Amino acid sequence: MLAELKHTLRRKRGQLIGWAIGLALYALMMVSFFDSIVGIEGIQEMMQAYPEDLAAFFGGFGAMNTPKGYLEIYYFNYMPVIIGIFTVGVGAGLLVSDEEKGTLDLILSYPVSRTALFWGRVLGLLALNALVLLIAYLSWVLPAQGTGMDLTWIQILRPFLPLFVQLVFFGALALLLSLVLPSVRSAGMLTGGILVGNYLLIGLSNLNEDLRAFIEYTPLHYYQGADAVDGLDWIWLGGIAGVSLVLVLLAWWRFQGRDIRVAGEGSWHLPALSRLLRRDKPPLEA
Amino acid sequence: MTDNKAIQVRGLTKSYGKVRALRGVDLEVDRGEIFGFLGPNGAGKTTTIRCLLDLIRPDSGQIRVLGLDPQAVPVAVRSSVGYLPGELSMEDGLKVEGQLRYYLDLRGNQVDWDHVRELSQRLDLDLSMPIKNLSKGNKQKVGMVQALMHRPRLLLLDEPTAGLDPLMQQEVYRLLREAQANGATVFFSTHIISEVETLAERVAIIREGVIVEEAQPGRLVSMAMRRMWIRFLKPVDPAPLENVEGVTLLSQSNGLRVHLQVERELDGLIKALASFPVSDIEIERPSLEEIFLAYYRAGSVEEGN
Repeated sequence: MLAELKHTLRRKRGQLIGWAIGLALYALMMVSFFDSIVGIEGIQEMMQAYPEDLAAFFGGFGAMNTPKGYLEIYYFNYMPVIIGIFTVGVGAGLLVSDEEKGTLDLILSYPVSRTALFWGRVLGLLALNALVLLIAYLSWVLPAQGTGMDLTWIQILRPFLPLFVQLVFFGALALLLSLVLPSVRSAGMLTGGILVGNYLLIGLSNLNEDLRAFIEYTPLHYYQGADAVDGLDWIWLGGIAGVSLVLVLLAWWRFQGRDIRVAGEGSWHLPALSRLLRRDKPPLEA
Repeated sequence: MTDNKAIQVRGLTKSYGKVRALRGVDLEVDRGEIFGFLGPNGAGKTTTIRCLLDLIRPDSGQIRVLGLDPQAVPVAVRSSVGYLPGELSMEDGLKVEGQLRYYLDLRGNQVDWDHVRELSQRLDLDLSMPIKNLSKGNKQKVGMVQALMHRPRLLLLDEPTAGLDPLMQQEVYRLLREAQANGATVFFSTHIISEVETLAERVAIIREGVIVEEAQPGRLVSMAMRRMWIRFLKPVDPAPLENVEGVTLLSQSNGLRVHLQVERELDGLIKALASFPVSDIEIERPSLEEIFLAYYRAGSVEEGN
């Protein structure tokens, strides 16, 4: 299991470094802008001048001149989608990309049980997300000390926990779908679609009350964002973590009974759209 | 099922959707022997090997590898096996040494690195090369090194010399014979007949998911159909020769020369010839390749019928 954890981290180190640098630079930039932006005279009035529908879509621009509101609007509101791209990519390819490349065949001929391989890789997924968020957190908390952002290190840390749990959820969903759908790409696309769709649905539900009953069944509804600065909702956290665990267990069960494919060998195929749309052509007249 | 066999397979079936890859494979490989598994692409060689390692699960049948059930105790089986897949793929981002050290990690670091170096030197493999720059032949060498590096009790090799030049093929044969001398069993699949003739002590021929023959390569040759030309000192009536079981008269010229096809042993024919004034006999022995092709032609004819 440890060998697989190390291997997962080693082979994703390029992506990890790239994402960490990007997120760190963004956080540093946003921290350095904090004093300037909240210090703009009439900023709150300016934000309230935005069209109501637009403000409602983003959950309102209510308290932008506070550290919590600033964190929400400029960071935590959309970070599940941004970092989610990384997580979904890693989750979808965690096992099945090796299968598609043909490397899993040889790996599983070694004295490694499927269970050890699976959980080693899942630990790798968790570690990668934790490392990305740790660097993002440090990029907020260290420079924040020199600004007017009057938050303690623990207050800044708290919103990263719901973000981490959401990322784990979508990573686990991508992993499960990769073991059900024909390819890594289809699993990544579907999970990414669900993630972005959920984000848009949350925004639209602020405009349309009829959608509110529906979004209760979506994971991002239980994402606290920067509200977690004031305290964590442990029920929401536990709920999403629990569902994520169920998804991972389903993926593990699926992996246990799976025939390992070799490179170039497909599983089932989605019917080609052209074939579905094709109509029988009338016979040519002689 | 007994524990003293390296491999025992009974009634193994496996389908991929509508394609029946294995249709009841029965196979026994003794401990310490070199066993060739012969068949063209798509015959079921790779599927059989992958079932032995629990990489794929058969629909029915029983498997024992070194006396163990691979589905029940896959890790125990794999710890004693060295495997070379037919389609060898590795991490492009690593160098050869990094790749081998990862494999070593998967074996719990219970491999002597000096032995890895020695194998690499014998196969003329540069450990500092990036995997992505390796030719097919050099990748195959990495595959052989990783299969042999832990001195396994059983080697499962799917086309071990694919992509290797003749000199390296000879080195691989030497390595496999040395492994056998040290007590290992070697089970290799191939569609190269000469490889089986050179290396294997016994061979099984698989055709469309069924073992159609299993014997020593030499015995396969001796048991197979052969053609004979017989010259006589004076014209004879060859009719009595046609009555011998397994003999077919292909042609004759004025009773002085006959061309016969003989199946199985020659004993009956030799006894029948004792009463003929024989001048000369020429026997055309089939190569293993011809025997192999004959099995396939026979299969095609049966299906055609």
